[in-house]
Amino acid sequence: MARSQPIRAFVEEVGDIASFTGRFFREVFRPRFEWAELFRQSFINGYRSLPLVAVTAFIMGLVLTVQSRPTLERFGAESMLPLMVAISVVREIGPVITALICAGKIGSSIGAELGSMKVTEQIDAMEVSGTNPFKYLVVTRVVSTTLMVPVLVVFADAIAIYASYIGVNIKGSVSWTLFHQQVFDSLVFADFVPAFIKSFFFGFAIGIVGCYKGFNTKKGTEGVGQASHSSVVVASLVIFFIDLIAVQITDILGYN
Amino acid sequence: MEKGEHTIDRPAEIGEEVVVRIQGLKKAFGKNEVLRGFNMDVHKGENVMVLGKSGSGKSVLIKCIIGLLAPDAGIVEVLGQDMLALKHEALDEMRVRIGFLFQSNALYDSMTVRENLEFPMRRHFVKLGAAERHDRVMQALADVSLEQTVDLMPSELSGGMRKRIGLARTLIMRPEIVLYDEPTTGLDPITGREIVELMLDLQREYGISSILISHDLNVAKLAANRVIVLHEGIAHAQGTFDELMHSTDPVVRRFFYSL
Repeated sequence: MARSQPIRAFVEEVGDIASFTGRFFREVFRPRFEWAELFRQSFINGYRSLPLVAVTAFIMGLVLTVQSRPTLERFGAESMLPLMVAISVVREIGPVITALICAGKIGSSIGAELGSMKVTEQIDAMEVSGTNPFKYLVVTRVVSTTLMVPVLVVFADAIAIYASYIGVNIKGSVSWTLFHQQVFDSLVFADFVPAFIKSFFFGFAIGIVGCYKGFNTKKGTEGVGQASHSSVVVASLVIFFIDLIAVQITDILGYN
Repeated sequence: MEKGEHTIDRPAEIGEEVVVRIQGLKKAFGKNEVLRGFNMDVHKGENVMVLGKSGSGKSVLIKCIIGLLAPDAGIVEVLGQDMLALKHEALDEMRVRIGFLFQSNALYDSMTVRENLEFPMRRHFVKLGAAERHDRVMQALADVSLEQTVDLMPSELSGGMRKRIGLARTLIMRPEIVLYDEPTTGLDPITGREIVELMLDLQREYGISSILISHDLNVAKLAANRVIVLHEGIAHAQGTFDELMHSTDPVVRRFFYSL
C-alpha cells in the first residue's frame, strides 16, 4: 500500500497537469485577451533573456568547434568543421540548450512569482476583483514562452555559428565568406524547420509547467521554493521527452 | 460615551432589503465537515460579524460567498443573484459589486500603489480616461489618508498602511457589500481600532453593507450591528454584542469570557 503512494501521486500529478493544459486551451481563445500583459511577459521572457542566451550560445559554438577539430583532423575532414558544427547547433544543441537555459531562468521565475502570489492570496484577490487570474497570469505567460523560446533559439543558433567561425579561426584561417558558404550550402530547410517547430513545444512546456507549479503552490514560503525548483526539474525532463518524440517523428518523416 | 459606541446600534440605517441570504450552507474538506448547514441573512446597511475560533470555518464561509470555494450544498444569494449559478463574466460582474478585504491585504507586490488601485478599474471601467482614473485613485487614497504613498511599492509600506491601501483598493470599485477577513489581525490595538473606525466611516459615506469575520471582540463591539457565533459549522447564536455578552449559553460565554 505504502509503496503505491508515489506512483499514485505521480499519476495524479500527470492528470492534474493534463487538466491544467486542457483549461489553457479552453481559455486561450476565449475573450477577453490580455494583450498588454502578453507584451509585458514577452518582453520579460524574451528580450531580458537575450544576454544569457547569447553568452551561452557563444560559448557552446566555440567549445563545440574547438573540441570537434582534433577528431575531424584525424580523418582529414577538417574542412567539414563549419558544416558539422552548424548542423549540430541548428538541429539539436541550439534548441535543447536554449530551452534548458530558459527552463532555468524563465520556468523558475514563473514558478516562484505565481507561487508567491498564490500563498499571499494575490491570485484570490485578482479573482474577487472580477479578473480571471488564469487568463491574466497563466495564458499570457504560456503564450509568451511559446512564442519567445523559438525566437531565442534562432538567435542562439546565429550566435553559436558566429562563435564557431571564431573557433575555426583560432587554429586556422578561414574567411567569413568561405565559412558562410560552407555552412549555408549544406544546411537545408529540413535541418532547420523540425528544430524550429519543436522549440515551440519546448517553450509551451516551460510555460505550462512553471504556471502549473506556481498556481498550485501550497505550504507557504517553503512551497514557493519547491514550486520554483520543481518547475525547472519537470520542465527540463519534459524538454528531453519532447526531443525524444520529435526525433522519432522526423525520422519517420525522413528528415534525419 | 465610549468612542465608537455610536456604531454598535444603528437601526435607523439598516434597511429591510436582504442583500445576502445564506441557507443550509455545507462545506467539507475530506471528512472534515467545516460548515454543516449555516444560515445567515444580512440587511442593507447592516454590519454583521461572524465570530468564531480559529479553524471554525469563518474564512471558508466568506470564500463560499464570493465564489472562491464551491460549497457542497446550500443557497448563497447576494443582491438577489444566486452566486452558485453564475458563470464566467456574470460572476466577474457580480464580484465587482462585492468587495473583499483579505487578512493579508493581498496587494500585488509587483505593482505600485497606483497600479494596485487602477487594476480593477482598468478591467471594469474601461471607458474611464486616464485623468478620471487618477482622480479616483487620489480620492480613494484621500479616504484612507495615504495620498503620499501613490507611487510607492507595497514592500515600502507598514502593516497598517498596507491594510489601509487594501481597504482603498476594495472600496475604489464602490461595492455594495464588503466582506472583511480578519481586518485587525496582525495590527497593534491602536492601528486596529483606527482601521475599524475608517471602515465604518467609509461604509457610512458609501452606504455599504458588510460581513466581518474575526475572533477579535473589540471589532465586534466597535463595528457590528449583529454578531453571529459560528460554532461546529452552524450559526450557534446571534444577537447584538450586548445581548451575546449577557447570554447564558456556555458556548457564547466561552467567547466573551476573556473580555
